[in-house]
Amino acid sequence: MIIDVNAFIGHYPFRKLAARNAEQMIELMDASGIDRAVVSSLHSVFYRDAHRGNEELMEQIQPHGSRFIPVATVNPKYADWRHDLEECVTRWKMKAVTLVPEHHGYSLTDDDGKAALNQIAEYGLPVVLTQRFEDRRQRHHWDVANDLDVATLTTVAEQHPRLKFLLSNWTGLSGTRLAAAGLKGRCLIDFARSHVVLFKSIPRLIETLGVESIAFGSHMPFDYVGPSLVKLANLESLPQADYEKIAWRNAAAFLNVDV
Amino acid sequence: MKPNRREILKSIGGVIGASGLTFSSPTLVGDDKLPREAPSSSGTVGLPKNWRSMRKIDVHAHVWQSLHLPDADWSGAEDLVEAAETLGIEKLCCSRPITGGVMADTEKVRDANDSVLAAMKRYPDRIAGFCFVQPGNGPAALAEIDRCVDAGMIGVKLYNQFKYSDPILFPIAERCIAHRIPIIGHSGHVTDAKTKASQPNISDSLDFCMLSERYPELLLIMAHVNGGGDWEWAIKALRACPNVYLDTSGSVLESDTIGMCVQELGHKRILFGTDSTMEGGVGKILSADLTPTQRGDIFWRNLQQILDRRSA
Repeated sequence: MIIDVNAFIGHYPFRKLAARNAEQMIELMDASGIDRAVVSSLHSVFYRDAHRGNEELMEQIQPHGSRFIPVATVNPKYADWRHDLEECVTRWKMKAVTLVPEHHGYSLTDDDGKAALNQIAEYGLPVVLTQRFEDRRQRHHWDVANDLDVATLTTVAEQHPRLKFLLSNWTGLSGTRLAAAGLKGRCLIDFARSHVVLFKSIPRLIETLGVESIAFGSHMPFDYVGPSLVKLANLESLPQADYEKIAWRNAAAFLNVDV
Repeated sequence: MKPNRREILKSIGGVIGASGLTFSSPTLVGDDKLPREAPSSSGTVGLPKNWRSMRKIDVHAHVWQSLHLPDADWSGAEDLVEAAETLGIEKLCCSRPITGGVMADTEKVRDANDSVLAAMKRYPDRIAGFCFVQPGNGPAALAEIDRCVDAGMIGVKLYNQFKYSDPILFPIAERCIAHRIPIIGHSGHVTDAKTKASQPNISDSLDFCMLSERYPELLLIMAHVNGGGDWEWAIKALRACPNVYLDTSGSVLESDTIGMCVQELGHKRILFGTDSTMEGGVGKILSADLTPTQRGDIFWRNLQQILDRRSA
């Protein structure tokens, strides 16, 4: 079984994606051997009212049973966002909450960011932080969002010691630095931009943070799934239990998902 | 039991053994119908079962340490070779360009190429060399090409010191034509201000096209379609330049890149490369919607045909 913790549904304004709705994502998942995908709405990143994207997401995935694990997107600068978050958590049973401060115009360390992170921690849910959607070298001139940085991440981790973090599409993570910020045991890192061979960033993260900290992620539909499948294949020499943790068990446990 | 990194690395290094095929310039690999030892292959869902044993030549690889010095640190090269073995990459075409906006003198250029030559000597079956030169060094650059080719290198690597449309490159192109060797050139159509400022002379597709139009017989490879900014722009701008090849390397793994390359340029112009993004480089070729013949052409056959021209 494979659970992909780094996936999205929707259109992206600056590039045509290979899969843009739930049906196309199911086709992509089936072709790639992905059983379940943790998805948030790309539309929520760009709509003024992010919650409209959450509504669309739930409509999209409803016919597909358990194939999708939905993640809420919240904009703490928008009117009555707490009510919207409540709907995502209590009515729709969303398993995590994503924040996109660079796109929604705030910082994780300002009052808006702190309020959102505190509220997410109150629900006991993980926050999902995607370092970037696209490489900055190819960005559309309207896309001015900076990549999230490790310094902010570790600061936020120290400010919110009860909060769990799903780190999506990150590179440049130091396990030592994350552990020093208290993230060992409360973060899950998708390996879409990490490596088993050559730079060996995945083995290093396992060494410092434990195998429970790593999960399969592909960044689909932005990226090809093949690179992550190759990484997973290169981890087949791990003990079977550890391999399964990376393939799906860590994701299921971290997000409290029944499988 | 907690996994140990040393154990993990040891185990992944042993997934696939060296192919045993001999590298004898200019041919990088033998006929694909030759019987080969079948390495163990992953049965991971979503990948072809034989993906590791598919023949592959990486046209874009690097060594970075000063491997020719007595106390050289070989760890990076060892990790590179280990990664290639794991992924079933038979040959790595390595260079060591001078980066960081440096206009390197001849001595530094020779030093960089000596490092590649040392890697070729230590791994003759795995590493082939591309000779880095700086066109601004004039006749010394041409002499360096001759020296490297005499020592067994199979191509020339250019970086971003000068645009490829600059006439200063013309003697380099003419020397490569004379040797019947390819040029692989750093490229990018970058859209962010920071990268633009740091690489003011980076060449994009149009620069490659201008050089190719002047020298249609030149074997010109535009490097890392996924490592130089707007890849859709780069591919579209290459449509009109039938003599420019393109390598697939780079850290960007965006879906449809390979499909668009094939659709717009034809698969015979596409060469597999990693530029150190090893699993990503292999994985995107495996994910792309290709026929087995197209995949084989991209993975190794197209490059082999370029190199075969040396003996034509």
